[in-house]
Amino acid sequence: MRSIVYYVREFLRPEWLKKFFFAKTAPLVTPPYFKDYPSRTEKECTGCFSCMMICPAPEAIEVLRRKDRWEPAIYRGHCIRCGLCVEACPEDVLTSGRILDVTRHDGTALRSWYRLQVDDTLCMRCGNCCVSCPINKQVDPQLAGTGTSSSDEVIMRIEGGRVKILHEEKCTGCKTCEIHCPNRAIRVARMVEGVQGEEAEA
Amino acid sequence: MSILQEIKNAVRSRSIHVSYVDVGSCNGCDIEVLACLAPRYDIEQYGIYVHNNPREADVLLVIGSVTPQWVDKLRDIWDKIPEPKVAVAIGNCPISGCVYNRRGTLTEPPAENYIPIAAQVPGCPPRPTEILNAILSVAPLVFKDYEEKQR
Repeated sequence: MRSIVYYVREFLRPEWLKKFFFAKTAPLVTPPYFKDYPSRTEKECTGCFSCMMICPAPEAIEVLRRKDRWEPAIYRGHCIRCGLCVEACPEDVLTSGRILDVTRHDGTALRSWYRLQVDDTLCMRCGNCCVSCPINKQVDPQLAGTGTSSSDEVIMRIEGGRVKILHEEKCTGCKTCEIHCPNRAIRVARMVEGVQGEEAEA
Repeated sequence: MSILQEIKNAVRSRSIHVSYVDVGSCNGCDIEVLACLAPRYDIEQYGIYVHNNPREADVLLVIGSVTPQWVDKLRDIWDKIPEPKVAVAIGNCPISGCVYNRRGTLTEPPAENYIPIAAQVPGCPPRPTEILNAILSVAPLVFKDYEEKQR
Protein backbone atom coordinates (compact mmCIF):
# COMPACT_ATOMS: atom_id res chain seq x y z
CA MET A 1 0.00 0.00 0.00
CA ARG A 2 2.77 2.40 0.88
CA SER A 3 4.59 1.68 -2.30
CA ILE A 4 1.51 2.47 -4.39
CA VAL A 5 1.12 5.78 -2.60
CA TYR A 6 4.78 6.44 -3.19
CA TYR A 7 4.45 5.78 -6.91
CA VAL A 8 1.37 7.94 -7.27
CA ARG A 9 3.06 10.79 -5.48
CA GLU A 10 6.19 10.35 -7.55
CA PHE A 11 4.29 10.43 -10.82
CA LEU A 12 2.17 13.44 -9.88
CA ARG A 13 5.15 15.72 -9.46
CA PRO A 14 4.89 18.52 -12.03
CA GLU A 15 8.53 18.10 -13.13
CA TRP A 16 7.97 14.44 -13.84
CA LEU A 17 4.77 15.07 -15.77
CA LYS A 18 6.43 17.81 -17.79
CA LYS A 19 9.38 15.58 -18.60
CA PHE A 20 7.12 12.72 -19.55
CA PHE A 21 4.76 14.56 -21.88
CA PHE A 22 7.11 17.14 -23.35
CA ALA A 23 10.31 15.14 -23.56
CA LYS A 24 12.86 16.72 -25.86
CA THR A 25 16.51 16.15 -26.33
CA ALA A 26 18.48 19.37 -26.32
CA PRO A 27 19.10 20.63 -29.83
CA LEU A 28 22.42 19.22 -30.90
CA VAL A 29 25.20 21.74 -31.25
CA THR A 30 27.67 21.71 -34.11
CA PRO A 31 31.00 20.47 -32.75
CA PRO A 32 33.97 22.85 -33.13
CA TYR A 33 35.83 20.37 -35.33
CA PHE A 34 33.01 20.28 -37.89
CA LYS A 35 34.36 21.04 -41.36
CA ASP A 36 31.98 23.88 -42.16
CA TYR A 37 32.09 26.30 -45.09
CA PRO A 38 35.58 27.79 -45.24
CA SER A 39 35.90 31.19 -43.65
CA ARG A 40 38.63 33.77 -44.15
CA THR A 41 41.42 34.28 -41.66
CA GLU A 42 43.17 37.64 -41.33
CA LYS A 43 46.01 36.46 -43.59
CA GLU A 44 46.33 38.21 -46.93
CA CYS A 45 45.38 36.48 -50.18
CA THR A 46 48.03 36.69 -52.89
CA GLY A 47 45.74 35.75 -55.76
CA CYS A 48 47.50 32.53 -56.74
CA PHE A 49 44.14 30.81 -57.48
CA SER A 50 45.26 27.48 -55.96
CA CYS A 51 41.88 27.18 -54.24
CA MET A 52 39.92 27.82 -57.44
CA MET A 53 42.00 25.32 -59.41
CA ILE A 54 41.59 22.48 -56.91
CA CYS A 55 37.88 23.00 -56.17
CA PRO A 56 35.89 19.95 -57.37
CA ALA A 57 32.49 21.68 -57.41
CA PRO A 58 31.62 24.06 -60.24
CA GLU A 59 31.29 27.74 -59.27
CA ALA A 60 31.86 27.07 -55.58
CA ILE A 61 34.80 29.40 -54.98
CA GLU A 62 35.96 32.56 -56.66
CA VAL A 63 38.93 34.76 -55.93
CA LEU A 64 37.70 38.29 -56.45
CA ARG A 65 39.70 41.45 -56.92
CA ARG A 66 38.63 44.08 -54.41
CA LYS A 67 39.98 47.62 -54.51
CA ASP A 68 43.46 46.85 -53.23
CA ARG A 69 43.45 43.17 -52.39
CA TRP A 70 42.35 39.71 -53.47
CA GLU A 71 39.53 38.02 -51.63
CA PRO A 72 38.26 34.43 -51.94
CA ALA A 73 34.46 34.10 -51.89
CA ILE A 74 32.66 30.82 -51.12
CA TYR A 75 29.21 30.26 -52.58
CA ARG A 76 26.78 28.23 -50.51
CA GLY A 77 24.62 25.94 -52.55
CA HIS A 78 27.68 25.16 -54.67
CA CYS A 79 30.36 24.40 -52.07
CA ILE A 80 30.50 20.77 -50.93
CA ARG A 81 32.61 21.47 -47.82
CA CYS A 82 35.41 19.13 -48.89
CA GLY A 83 38.04 21.51 -47.50
CA LEU A 84 40.46 21.09 -50.41
CA CYS A 85 40.74 24.87 -50.88
CA VAL A 86 41.83 25.21 -47.25
CA GLU A 87 44.50 22.57 -47.77
CA ALA A 88 45.66 23.93 -51.10
CA CYS A 89 46.10 27.53 -50.00
CA PRO A 90 49.81 28.19 -49.42
CA GLU A 91 49.09 31.29 -47.28
CA ASP A 92 46.43 29.77 -44.96
CA VAL A 93 43.92 32.41 -46.02
CA LEU A 94 40.97 30.08 -45.51
CA THR A 95 40.12 28.02 -42.46
CA SER A 96 37.56 25.35 -41.74
CA GLY A 97 37.27 23.03 -38.76
CA ARG A 98 40.70 21.78 -37.79
CA ILE A 99 42.08 21.21 -41.29
CA LEU A 100 44.87 23.75 -40.80
CA ASP A 101 45.91 22.23 -37.46
CA VAL A 102 45.95 18.73 -38.92
CA THR A 103 47.97 19.69 -42.01
CA ARG A 104 50.45 21.56 -39.79
CA HIS A 105 50.70 18.62 -37.41
CA ASP A 106 51.12 16.00 -40.12
CA GLY A 107 53.29 18.20 -42.33
CA THR A 108 51.23 17.55 -45.43
CA ALA A 109 50.92 19.70 -48.53
CA LEU A 110 49.65 19.51 -52.07
CA ARG A 111 52.18 19.56 -54.86
CA SER A 112 51.07 20.42 -58.37
CA TRP A 113 52.56 20.39 -61.82
CA TYR A 114 51.34 20.51 -65.39
CA ARG A 115 51.29 17.62 -67.78
CA LEU A 116 51.32 18.08 -71.53
CA GLN A 117 49.76 15.42 -73.66
CA VAL A 118 49.65 15.31 -77.44
CA ASP A 119 47.26 13.00 -79.21
CA ASP A 120 49.25 11.85 -82.23
CA THR A 121 46.17 10.78 -84.15
CA LEU A 122 44.71 14.30 -83.95
CA CYS A 123 47.94 16.28 -84.22
CA MET A 124 48.65 17.54 -87.75
CA ARG A 125 52.15 18.84 -86.94
CA CYS A 126 51.35 22.49 -87.66
CA GLY A 127 53.55 23.64 -84.80
CA ASN A 128 51.07 26.22 -83.56
CA CYS A 129 51.53 25.04 -79.96
CA CYS A 130 55.31 25.45 -80.05
CA VAL A 131 55.05 28.88 -81.68
CA SER A 132 52.31 30.25 -79.40
CA CYS A 133 53.88 29.10 -76.13
CA PRO A 134 55.09 32.20 -74.24
CA ILE A 135 57.81 30.24 -72.42
CA ASN A 136 59.14 28.94 -75.72
CA LYS A 137 59.29 32.53 -76.97
CA GLN A 138 61.37 33.61 -73.99
CA VAL A 139 63.80 30.70 -74.29
CA ASP A 140 64.25 30.80 -78.03
CA PRO A 141 63.24 34.06 -79.75
CA GLN A 142 64.19 32.48 -83.08
CA LEU A 143 61.39 29.93 -82.81
CA ALA A 144 58.80 30.74 -85.42
CA GLY A 145 57.00 29.39 -88.40
CA THR A 146 57.24 25.63 -88.37
CA GLY A 147 57.93 25.23 -84.68
CA THR A 148 61.35 23.73 -85.06
CA SER A 149 64.03 24.98 -82.73
CA SER A 150 67.73 24.46 -82.28
CA SER A 151 67.47 25.05 -78.52
CA ASP A 152 67.13 22.09 -76.16
CA GLU A 153 65.69 24.31 -73.44
CA VAL A 154 62.25 24.89 -75.00
CA ILE A 155 59.18 23.14 -73.57
CA MET A 156 58.31 21.50 -76.87
CA ARG A 157 59.39 21.60 -80.47
CA ILE A 158 58.70 19.85 -83.74
CA GLU A 159 61.21 17.08 -84.20
CA GLY A 160 61.12 14.70 -87.11
CA GLY A 161 57.65 15.78 -88.13
CA ARG A 162 56.00 15.45 -84.71
CA VAL A 163 55.71 17.37 -81.48
CA LYS A 164 58.27 16.39 -78.90
CA ILE A 165 57.86 17.56 -75.33
CA LEU A 166 61.25 18.25 -73.78
CA HIS A 167 60.71 20.23 -70.59
CA GLU A 168 57.25 19.65 -69.18
CA GLU A 169 58.27 21.10 -65.79
CA LYS A 170 58.65 24.59 -67.29
CA CYS A 171 54.95 24.79 -68.20
CA THR A 172 53.00 27.42 -66.24
CA GLY A 173 49.59 26.12 -67.25
CA CYS A 174 48.55 29.16 -69.29
CA LYS A 175 46.90 26.86 -71.88
CA THR A 176 47.85 29.14 -74.78
CA CYS A 177 48.85 26.05 -76.76
CA GLU A 178 45.44 24.49 -76.15
CA ILE A 179 43.68 27.59 -77.44
CA HIS A 180 45.84 27.77 -80.56
CA CYS A 181 45.61 24.08 -81.44
CA PRO A 182 43.21 23.72 -84.37
CA ASN A 183 42.46 20.04 -83.64
CA ARG A 184 42.39 20.00 -79.83
CA ALA A 185 45.28 17.58 -80.00
CA ILE A 186 47.31 19.07 -77.17
CA ARG A 187 46.00 18.94 -73.65
CA VAL A 188 47.31 20.67 -70.55
CA ALA A 189 46.37 18.89 -67.34
CA ARG A 190 47.05 20.10 -63.83
CA MET A 191 48.26 17.23 -61.71
CA VAL A 192 48.03 17.37 -57.93
CA GLU A 193 49.69 15.06 -55.46
CA GLY A 194 49.57 14.94 -51.68
CA VAL A 195 53.03 14.95 -50.12
CA GLN A 196 54.23 14.64 -46.56
CA GLY A 197 57.39 15.37 -44.60
CA GLU A 198 60.47 16.78 -46.30
CA GLU A 199 58.82 16.91 -49.70
CA ALA A 200 56.04 19.09 -48.32
CA GLU A 201 58.47 21.68 -47.00
CA ALA A 202 60.25 22.00 -50.32
CA MET B 1 -8.38 35.56 -34.39
CA SER B 2 -11.00 32.85 -34.17
CA ILE B 3 -10.76 29.98 -31.73
CA LEU B 4 -10.85 27.55 -34.61
CA GLN B 5 -7.77 29.14 -36.06
CA GLU B 6 -5.99 28.89 -32.73
CA ILE B 7 -6.79 25.21 -32.49
CA LYS B 8 -5.53 24.69 -36.00
CA ASN B 9 -2.32 26.56 -35.19
CA ALA B 10 -1.73 24.44 -32.11
CA VAL B 11 -2.36 21.22 -33.96
CA ARG B 12 -0.32 22.15 -37.00
CA SER B 13 2.67 23.22 -34.96
CA ARG B 14 2.87 19.72 -33.45
CA SER B 15 2.03 17.70 -36.54
CA ILE B 16 4.11 18.46 -39.59
CA HIS B 17 3.96 15.69 -42.13
CA VAL B 18 6.92 15.41 -44.42
CA SER B 19 7.23 13.67 -47.74
CA TYR B 20 10.54 13.44 -49.49
CA VAL B 21 11.18 13.02 -53.16
CA ASP B 22 14.48 11.96 -54.63
CA VAL B 23 14.77 13.59 -58.03
CA GLY B 24 18.09 12.06 -58.96
CA SER B 25 20.38 12.43 -55.99
CA CYS B 26 23.42 10.39 -55.04
CA ASN B 27 21.60 9.16 -51.88
CA GLY B 28 23.87 11.19 -49.62
CA CYS B 29 21.10 13.59 -48.66
CA ASP B 30 18.57 10.74 -48.37
CA ILE B 31 20.77 9.21 -45.71
CA GLU B 32 20.92 12.51 -43.83
CA VAL B 33 17.11 12.75 -43.90
CA LEU B 34 17.00 9.19 -42.64
CA ALA B 35 19.43 10.11 -39.86
CA CYS B 36 16.89 12.69 -38.66
CA LEU B 37 14.58 9.77 -37.81
CA ALA B 38 17.24 8.04 -35.73
CA PRO B 39 17.22 8.43 -31.92
CA ARG B 40 20.15 10.83 -31.97
CA TYR B 41 18.25 13.54 -33.83
CA ASP B 42 14.74 12.12 -33.35
CA ILE B 43 12.64 14.26 -35.67
CA GLU B 44 9.35 12.92 -34.24
CA GLN B 45 9.80 14.59 -30.86
CA TYR B 46 9.22 17.88 -32.66
CA GLY B 47 6.01 16.55 -34.17
CA ILE B 48 7.48 15.96 -37.60
CA TYR B 49 6.46 12.71 -39.26
CA VAL B 50 8.06 11.37 -42.40
CA HIS B 51 5.83 9.62 -44.91
CA ASN B 52 6.31 8.93 -48.50
CA ASN B 53 2.86 9.97 -49.52
CA PRO B 54 2.41 13.43 -50.99
CA ARG B 55 -1.36 13.36 -50.40
CA GLU B 56 -0.94 13.50 -46.63
CA ALA B 57 2.12 15.73 -46.59
CA ASP B 58 2.58 19.36 -45.56
CA VAL B 59 6.26 19.66 -46.36
CA LEU B 60 7.95 18.31 -49.47
CA LEU B 61 11.67 17.72 -49.25
CA VAL B 62 13.21 17.89 -52.70
CA ILE B 63 16.47 15.98 -52.88
CA GLY B 64 18.71 15.71 -55.89
CA SER B 65 19.54 17.53 -59.09
CA VAL B 66 16.50 17.26 -61.32
CA THR B 67 16.96 14.61 -63.99
CA PRO B 68 15.04 14.96 -67.28
CA GLN B 69 12.57 12.22 -66.26
CA TRP B 70 11.59 14.22 -63.19
CA VAL B 71 10.98 17.53 -64.95
CA ASP B 72 7.21 16.99 -65.44
CA LYS B 73 6.69 14.54 -62.58
CA LEU B 74 7.99 16.86 -59.87
CA ARG B 75 5.20 19.30 -60.68
CA ASP B 76 2.64 16.45 -60.49
CA ILE B 77 3.80 15.52 -57.01
CA TRP B 78 3.66 19.14 -55.91
CA ASP B 79 0.08 19.47 -57.20
CA LYS B 80 -1.00 16.40 -55.24
CA ILE B 81 -0.03 17.89 -51.88
CA PRO B 82 -3.03 19.52 -50.16
CA GLU B 83 -2.83 23.16 -49.08
CA PRO B 84 -1.17 24.53 -46.98
CA LYS B 85 2.08 23.20 -48.34
CA VAL B 86 5.73 24.11 -48.52
CA ALA B 87 8.72 22.75 -50.43
CA VAL B 88 12.24 22.62 -49.00
CA ALA B 89 15.28 21.97 -51.16
CA ILE B 90 17.71 19.69 -49.33
CA GLY B 91 21.35 19.82 -50.33
CA ASN B 92 23.24 21.60 -53.05
CA CYS B 93 21.73 19.64 -55.92
CA PRO B 94 18.23 21.16 -56.12
CA ILE B 95 19.77 24.60 -55.53
CA SER B 96 22.55 24.62 -58.11
CA GLY B 97 23.14 21.10 -59.39
CA CYS B 98 26.40 21.02 -57.43
CA VAL B 99 28.98 18.65 -58.95
CA TYR B 100 26.46 17.28 -61.46
CA ASN B 101 25.92 20.65 -63.11
CA ARG B 102 28.45 20.08 -65.86
CA ARG B 103 28.50 19.61 -69.58
CA GLY B 104 27.42 16.11 -70.59
CA THR B 105 25.38 15.26 -67.49
CA LEU B 106 21.66 14.55 -67.58
CA THR B 107 20.50 17.08 -65.01
CA GLU B 108 18.31 20.14 -65.24
CA PRO B 109 18.70 22.06 -62.01
CA PRO B 110 17.54 24.10 -60.17
CA ALA B 111 14.32 22.65 -58.78
CA GLU B 112 12.98 26.20 -58.45
CA ASN B 113 12.22 26.13 -62.16
CA TYR B 114 9.50 23.54 -61.60
CA ILE B 115 7.98 24.14 -58.16
CA PRO B 116 8.08 27.06 -55.72
CA ILE B 117 10.83 26.38 -53.17
CA ALA B 118 10.32 28.10 -49.82
CA ALA B 119 13.59 27.19 -48.12
CA GLN B 120 16.97 25.94 -49.19
CA VAL B 121 19.38 23.92 -47.07
CA PRO B 122 22.82 24.11 -48.67
CA GLY B 123 25.43 21.45 -48.01
CA CYS B 124 26.67 18.33 -49.67
CA PRO B 125 25.10 16.76 -47.69
CA PRO B 126 23.63 19.10 -45.06
CA ARG B 127 23.81 18.07 -41.42
CA PRO B 128 20.63 16.51 -39.97
CA THR B 129 20.40 19.42 -37.52
CA GLU B 130 20.41 21.85 -40.43
CA ILE B 131 17.56 19.96 -42.10
CA LEU B 132 15.66 19.87 -38.81
CA ASN B 133 16.16 23.60 -38.21
CA ALA B 134 15.05 24.43 -41.74
CA ILE B 135 11.79 22.48 -41.42
CA LEU B 136 11.09 23.85 -37.94
CA SER B 137 11.69 27.45 -38.99
CA VAL B 138 9.89 27.42 -42.33
CA ALA B 139 6.79 25.47 -41.27
CA PRO B 140 5.36 28.07 -38.83
CA LEU B 141 5.92 30.85 -41.36
CA VAL B 142 3.57 29.15 -43.80
CA PHE B 143 1.17 27.17 -41.59
CA LYS B 144 0.50 29.68 -38.79
CA ASP B 145 -2.78 31.56 -39.36
CA TYR B 146 -3.00 30.05 -42.82
CA GLU B 147 -6.78 30.56 -43.16
CA GLU B 148 -6.56 34.11 -41.80
CA LYS B 149 -3.91 34.98 -44.36
CA GLN B 150 -6.02 33.58 -47.17
CA ARG B 151 -8.75 36.17 -46.63
